[in-house]
Amino acid sequence: MTWRKLLRHETILALLSVLALIVLASQSDKFFTVDNLLNQGRLMTEVGLIAIIMTFVIITGGIDLSVGSILGLVAILLGVFWKNLGLPLPIAIGLGLLVGTLAGLINGIIITRFRVPPLIATLGTLALYRGIAEGISEARSVRGYPDWFFVLGQGQFLGVPVQLWILGAVTLVAAIILGMTVWGRGVYAVGHNETAARYSGLQVDRIKLAIYSASGFAAALAAVIFVSRVSTTRSDMGTGIELDAITAVVLGGTSIFGGRGTIIGTVLGLILIQALKNGLSLAGIKSDGTIVLIGAVLILTILLSNLFHRNGNR
Amino acid sequence: MTVLLELRGVSKTFAGNRVLKDVDFDVRPGEVHALMGENGAGKSTLIKIISGVHAPDDGGIIRVAGTEYKAMTSRTAARGGIATVYQELLLFPELSVAENIFLGHAPRTPLGSLDWSLMRRRGRQLLDSLDSHDLDVDAKVGTLSVANRQRVEIAKALSQNARVLIMDEPTAALADADVRRLMVVVKRLRERGVGIIYVSHKLPEVFELADRVTVLRDGALIGTNPIAEVTEQSLVAMMVGRDIAQLFPKPVPNIGEVVLRVKGLSFGDRVRNISFELRRGEILGIAGLVGSGRTELALTVFGITPATAGTIELDGRTISITSPRQARDLGIAYVPEDRGLQGLVRPMSIAQNVSMAALHRVTNGLFMRFAAEISLAAEAIARLGIRTRGPEQIVGQLSGGNQQKVVLGKWLATNPRILIMDEPTRGIDVGAKSEIHALMGKLAQEGMAIVMISSELPEVLGMADRVLVMNGGTSVATIDRANASPETVGAAMTLAGQSVEMAQ
Ligand SMILES: Nc1ncnc2c1ncn2[C@@H]1O[C@H](COP(=O)(O)OP(=O)(O)OP(=O)(O)O)[C@@H](O)[C@H]1O
Ligand SMILES: [Mg+2]
Repeated sequence: MTWRKLLRHETILALLSVLALIVLASQSDKFFTVDNLLNQGRLMTEVGLIAIIMTFVIITGGIDLSVGSILGLVAILLGVFWKNLGLPLPIAIGLGLLVGTLAGLINGIIITRFRVPPLIATLGTLALYRGIAEGISEARSVRGYPDWFFVLGQGQFLGVPVQLWILGAVTLVAAIILGMTVWGRGVYAVGHNETAARYSGLQVDRIKLAIYSASGFAAALAAVIFVSRVSTTRSDMGTGIELDAITAVVLGGTSIFGGRGTIIGTVLGLILIQALKNGLSLAGIKSDGTIVLIGAVLILTILLSNLFHRNGNR
Repeated sequence: MTVLLELRGVSKTFAGNRVLKDVDFDVRPGEVHALMGENGAGKSTLIKIISGVHAPDDGGIIRVAGTEYKAMTSRTAARGGIATVYQELLLFPELSVAENIFLGHAPRTPLGSLDWSLMRRRGRQLLDSLDSHDLDVDAKVGTLSVANRQRVEIAKALSQNARVLIMDEPTAALADADVRRLMVVVKRLRERGVGIIYVSHKLPEVFELADRVTVLRDGALIGTNPIAEVTEQSLVAMMVGRDIAQLFPKPVPNIGEVVLRVKGLSFGDRVRNISFELRRGEILGIAGLVGSGRTELALTVFGITPATAGTIELDGRTISITSPRQARDLGIAYVPEDRGLQGLVRPMSIAQNVSMAALHRVTNGLFMRFAAEISLAAEAIARLGIRTRGPEQIVGQLSGGNQQKVVLGKWLATNPRILIMDEPTRGIDVGAKSEIHALMGKLAQEGMAIVMISSELPEVLGMADRVLVMNGGTSVATIDRANASPETVGAAMTLAGQSVEMAQ
């Protein structure tokens, strides 16, 4: 019963994705090639990692706008730790991930301790973290990373890009946590009715702290992969990535009001968006046109699924 | 005789489930027409069809002031002068009282902008006409007590110049004194010629107010009668389809050692210096007017608003309770006053709600055991007689009384040692009420210690072994069962300041 209800949006989305793939494949014979598809997977990973955790954030009724800035900050710090401080690269990576997680934790603390609405809290840290990143980098970029580092962003394992394996693993773990564990249940309860969740003995604040920290971690991981993929570090990396991630999550059927959403939905949303971007550019359509189309698809899917949802609810 | 509103052969089906069957119903000007029936009988559904929330199945007819409709919409209802106070309050917590009252039909200045001062003045007048002089029109609705929120709802309905006023269990959340005030208002409206549909589970109220009464059972119309032609017994028999054995089935208590001892407990100035003991197997009733601090006391013991002074002892050990989680882990359960906000996650299923405070019982440490969760819910459904399609039904789709039973089931699932119930039978029909009372008696006999906060004096007197009376945030009397009467308890509830000790 509930399953069917949840799946309904995902079904629409899956059908839409298939349709998009067929149409796009007919537009360009380059589109439906293994190389192209794998390459698209590569490009999707950074947004993907962020969107998967963003799904949790949005299900609790929150939002995290600071992920792009955390990505930029961690990317810069990676260069600074390795090049300027001379730390071994693995340690620099570890520290970068730690900083990202802490940045997320700070978001969580602002939101839970000081009761600042997530939109405002993370809008503030969006500016803050980006500002720090730019201050540190002074518009210089770092290059010359060792070869082994590029495996992460450019290498392959069993014929599939390395970062796709990472995205796959994160997705799987996230889906299991959200759908099958006690903790995941708490996330939904908090999103629907925080007060009732608290009165039931759920640790609302802890759940939120964990989620915002995870969001920071995901952004940091995306930063490492990003740097490895483009072999350079710049402070404006990740600008605007939060909007792509949020779009994928919402397209995937997660309610911006909280309480509703699935990881499968987000994955479908990601695939659809990436397919549209790539297919349209192969078909020679300018990127402005692509953005318009993605916007239209977003609104259309939400309308369709609301139409189905209206019956029988409430 | 003219009628304001008439329904002929109205049915309603939800997902293949026929919850109203060919119902006829009408309202005349200047009458109070009571609508009665068990939880889930279809009263609220009928009301929502009249007010345009639900469209009925094809075939029925609704006639409002001479115009025929197949289905109402909120717009045609408003045009027909139909206003509704719903069972589940629908106010906006972030808006002020005045804004809530005039939402959607706010008075405007000649320039077309909102006329705030007129809005506040008219809001004031409306509240005064409800004898609510103490309610501030600028207060945020979210900060009000349930009783006050109810008054705002009523003022909101009145502000639309209703010719038909529908009230779905308006007094469920009110204390006796407030019920009196409301009944005066209802009578005044009747004199003005308003037709009132009045849903209630409280028989005395119905007999005092109603001119006619209609009974539904399982969605079918059992009958419409002038009030003079029915008695309490015949009415209950019509609703339940059987006789109810005993109103307050209280087994011989089996009172043991002290489990909870509270000394000088305070929370700011809302709970002041309260001391009491609670024993194994005892039902401690807490009586008091709305705003006397009963709920605040419960919230402090349960860790929502941790105590600012005083001590709590559990089994002789002094503990400090700073969160609901901690209280729960200590074996304390709290069935809250506001089920929609605090008790339930309405968009989730019965199973998900029942397990919410007892998740440890339906996991293997990490993963949910979905089958165990379903059977936990099935247990609660059977134990409390929840009327539902099954454990996976969304709680928001249940009737009000059945939602209340889900909250109860959720906390019983934690196997508490101390059960604090805040208005446990609010909105529950006569039959189910005596079942819940029987269950309380049984739980107490099995050794549970129960604190029962109730605005219904008969319930307190009928079930409690001892009554703690609160007034102005502090306890003014502790009266044991033998001495508890409407007079002694009632006097203590309204007498301010002095402490009466009547327990031996
Ligand atoms: N939106 C809905 N979807 C599915 N079933 C519903 C919905 N709303 C109500 N029902 C079902 O219709 C039946 C009648 O419910 P209703 O709320 O009218 O009862 P009621 O007489 O008002 O009871 P109570 O005294 O408990 O408030 C119940 O079995 C309920 O589960
Ligand atoms: Mg009802």
